[in-house]
Amino acid sequence: MPSQDTIRFIPERCDGCGDCMTACAKAKGGASRISIVGSGGGGWDIALCRQCGDPKCVANCPAGALDKHYGSGIVGWSQDLCVDCHLCTIGCAYGGIVFESAAGHVQKCDLCDGTPACVPACGKGALEHLSAAARLHETHADKEDLFVPGLSACQGCNSELLIRHTMRRIGRNSVVAAPPGCIPGMGTVGYNGQTGAKMPIFHPLLTNTAAMLAGVKRQYERRGKDITVVALAGDGGAVDVGFQSLSGAAERGERILFICVDNEGYMNTGMQASGSTPFGSWTSTTPVGTVERGKSTDGKYLPQLMMGHGCAYVATASTAFLDDYHTKLEKALAASRTGFAYLHVHAPCPTGWRFPAAMTTEVCRRQVESNFVTLWEFTAEDGLRFTHAVDRPRPLSDYVGMIGKYKHLGNAEIERIQASVNRRVAFLKGFCRQPSAAE
Amino acid sequence: MNQHVNSSRMIVCDGNEAAARAVVLARPDVVSVFPITPQSSLVESLAQFVADGALGAELINAEGEHSVLSALQGACLAGARTYTATSGPGLAFMFEPYVRTPGLRLPMVVSLVTRDMLSPQCVWGGQQDAMTVRECGWIQIYCEDVQEVLDTVVMAFKLAEHKDVLLPVNVCHDGNYLSYGVSRVELPAAELVDQFLGQPEVNWHIALDPERPMSVDPLTGGTGPGGAASFVGYRKSQVRGMAAALEVFSDIHAEWGERFGRHWAPLVEEYRLEDADIAIITIGSMTGAGKDAVDAARDCGQKVGLIKVKTYRPFPREAMIAALGKVKAAGIVDRSVSFAWDCGPLHQDVMTALFASPLRLPLVGFIGGLAGADITATHFERVIAETTRAAGGNVPSSPVWLNEHD
Repeated sequence: MPSQDTIRFIPERCDGCGDCMTACAKAKGGASRISIVGSGGGGWDIALCRQCGDPKCVANCPAGALDKHYGSGIVGWSQDLCVDCHLCTIGCAYGGIVFESAAGHVQKCDLCDGTPACVPACGKGALEHLSAAARLHETHADKEDLFVPGLSACQGCNSELLIRHTMRRIGRNSVVAAPPGCIPGMGTVGYNGQTGAKMPIFHPLLTNTAAMLAGVKRQYERRGKDITVVALAGDGGAVDVGFQSLSGAAERGERILFICVDNEGYMNTGMQASGSTPFGSWTSTTPVGTVERGKSTDGKYLPQLMMGHGCAYVATASTAFLDDYHTKLEKALAASRTGFAYLHVHAPCPTGWRFPAAMTTEVCRRQVESNFVTLWEFTAEDGLRFTHAVDRPRPLSDYVGMIGKYKHLGNAEIERIQASVNRRVAFLKGFCRQPSAAE
Repeated sequence: MNQHVNSSRMIVCDGNEAAARAVVLARPDVVSVFPITPQSSLVESLAQFVADGALGAELINAEGEHSVLSALQGACLAGARTYTATSGPGLAFMFEPYVRTPGLRLPMVVSLVTRDMLSPQCVWGGQQDAMTVRECGWIQIYCEDVQEVLDTVVMAFKLAEHKDVLLPVNVCHDGNYLSYGVSRVELPAAELVDQFLGQPEVNWHIALDPERPMSVDPLTGGTGPGGAASFVGYRKSQVRGMAAALEVFSDIHAEWGERFGRHWAPLVEEYRLEDADIAIITIGSMTGAGKDAVDAARDCGQKVGLIKVKTYRPFPREAMIAALGKVKAAGIVDRSVSFAWDCGPLHQDVMTALFASPLRLPLVGFIGGLAGADITATHFERVIAETTRAAGGNVPSSPVWLNEHD
C-alpha cells in the first residue's frame, strides 16, 4: 500500500445520496465510518478520518489504543487496548473517530487496506482515493525538472531526490547557491564550462553562502524584481564554517530560503566529522581505535539554534516524508518573501554511514520512528508544532543497528544516545504553544 | 546633506569622510559595512548618508568583514555597483572572499584605511595590511592627501568597471594621518561626476540573473576535458586586465584633470626631479613630509627630488625606470616590511623593476612609520643624507629603521 494515503472529498459533486455510507457499512460491518452531513447553505460535507500527520486522537488516547503507522500513514485503532474513554473523539475536529452505540466502541476509517469501498460506490465522483505520491504528482508533475540527468551522486543518495523536488518547485525565476560539498560534487554547478542546472546557480565559498545570497537578493529587491534565492548547503557549510554568515543573515532577516542537507559530516571529502556528527559516530577524523571509540561529543543541533534567530520560518524534514517536505517547502518559500526561512533536511549517507544503498529511505523512516530525528516546524507566532509526532518511538537500536558507523557501539553508548534523544524531544516540546484556557 | 548638483564646493573634512563623500558621488547600489579602527568613521559616515537619503544604496550591516565582501560579491553578480572599506585584522578576516574577487572579475571598490598588522597588538597606521595582500590580484592605489582620497575613490570605480580591466580596486589611505587628518577639499559637483562615471556595467560577463541563466564559477581545471586550458585562459586574461590598468588609469586621470582641474600623476609622480642627483621614493601620506624635506634641501642647494608611487599594483615598472633614469641614487621609504629578506616591499619592487632594465644605481632602504610612528622632516633629512652618501658609493647593506630610536 502506498504511504500516506487519504480520501479527498469534492463537495460540489456530492448530492448527499449516501451511497458511500451504504458501501462502507457493508464492507466493514456495522455503522459506516464515513458520514455525509449537511454543511449549511444546502451543501454537503463529510465526517471522516483524515489520517492526520499530527493526529490529536492519538495524542489524547491514554491507553495506547491509537497509533500513527508511518509506513502506511494510517491511524490505527486497537480494540484490545481501548478502554472506551472516548477522549479520542474529543481530540478529533473532523468527526473522524466516533462512538457507535450499536458496536459498543469507537470506529474509524482504516482505508480498507488500500482499496476503500466508499470511493467506487460514489457515482458522482465526489470521493477520490489519493495517495501522497498522487498528490505530489498532481501538484508537481507538470513542473520542469531543472536538474540535469546523469549525475555523479553516490548510489542511494537522497540528495538528488531532494534537489529535483526542490528545483521543480522553486522554478527558473530563482538563484541557487550550492557551497562546496556533495551537492556541487555531484555536478550541480558543473565542470569546465558545463552546468548541472537549468537556472542561475553558483559555488559560494563553504563559509559565505548566506552572505552572498543576501547580496544577490538585496540588489534584486532594489531593482524591484521578485527573485527566489535558495541555498542548498551541507551541514559543514551551515553548522561549522558557514555558521557565522548564516547567523548574520538570519538575524538581519534577509529574504532567503536556506536549506541545510544534513548528512552529519564531511561526506564529500572522505567522511570527516563535522559539528553535526552525533555522539559515537565513526568518521575518518573520529575513528574507532583502542583508545577512542568514535565521536566523543553530541552533535550540534542547528535547527534549534535557528529558532533563536528571529527567522520567519524554521522546520526540519526527512525525504521519507516528502509530502511533509513539500508542505514545509511551500511555507518556507512564502516565509522567505518577508524574512529568513530555514529548512533542515536529514540526509542519511549510504557511503559515509555504511549502510546498503537500497536502505536509504528506510533509514530515514527509522530515524523519525525512533525520534532520533523529529519533524517539526516553528514560527515565533505559533511556536513549535510536531508534524509527525511519535509518542511511542521504536527502540533506538532499530535505527542504530542499521548503520555501519555505529556498529562498534555497546549498550551503554546506545543508552547515552537514547538519553540525548529523550532530552532533545523534551526540550523541543517546551517550545510548543500551550492551548489557552479558551481552547 | 545639501546637494549641490551643478557646481563644486569647498568643504573641510578628514580622509574617511572624503572617501564616504566620494562614494555618495559614485552612487553605488549596495554598500556593506563592518566597523574597525581606523576605518570606523568612514562607514559611520556612509550609514548617516544613507539614513539622510543622500546615498540611495542598499546598506548591509553585516556581522563581519568576511560577510561584507561576500554580500558585495553576490550583489555585484546581480548587477550592483558596490563599495566597502576595511583595515588591518578586518582585511585579514576578509581574505577568503578577497582572494576570490579578482578571479571572478568583479569590479568593486574597497578602501583600505591602512594599519599595521598584529602582533604586537596595535591599532595605529601603517601599510603592512595592504602590503600583505599585494599579490592577490587587486589593483592597489595609494593616496597622498585628503583631496586625492576623494578624487581617487571616484576614479577607482571607472578603472574597476573599464571593460579592458574589470578588476577590483583598493584605494589605500594611511590610517590616522589621512583617516583623521582634516583638510580643505573640493567636492566635485554630483552631476559632473555622473557624466564622468556613467551607468555601472558590472556583470555583463558573469551574472546570477534568471534572464541570463548560467552556472557561475563551476569547477575549472584539473584533469577534465579542456580543464587545464580553460583555467590558463582565465588566469591569463586576469593578468592582461591587470596590465591594461596602467594605461586605462592614466587616461582616467587625464579625463579627470580636464573635467575637474586637478591633475594627479596616475602611476608615479616626479617631484623636482629634473636636475636631481638623488631621489627619495615615497608611498602614501608620508609624501607630504617628503616633499617639504625636498624643498628644504633644495633651499640649501642640494639637488634632491622625489618619486611618489601612486599605483602600486600593477607596479608601474616603466614609469619607475623612467624616473630613476634621472638620478644617481635613490632612497626608498617603506611603511611596512617584507619578510622575504631584510627590506621593505616597495624596495623589492623597485629593485625588480631596475633589474628588468639596463639601468643600475645604488638603492638605500628605509623603514619608517610603523604602528603610527611619524615620519618627520628630520627623518627625511636623514633619508636624503644617507642616499647622498650612497650616490658616493657608500651603500648600507641593510635598511635604515627611521623610528628605531624615537
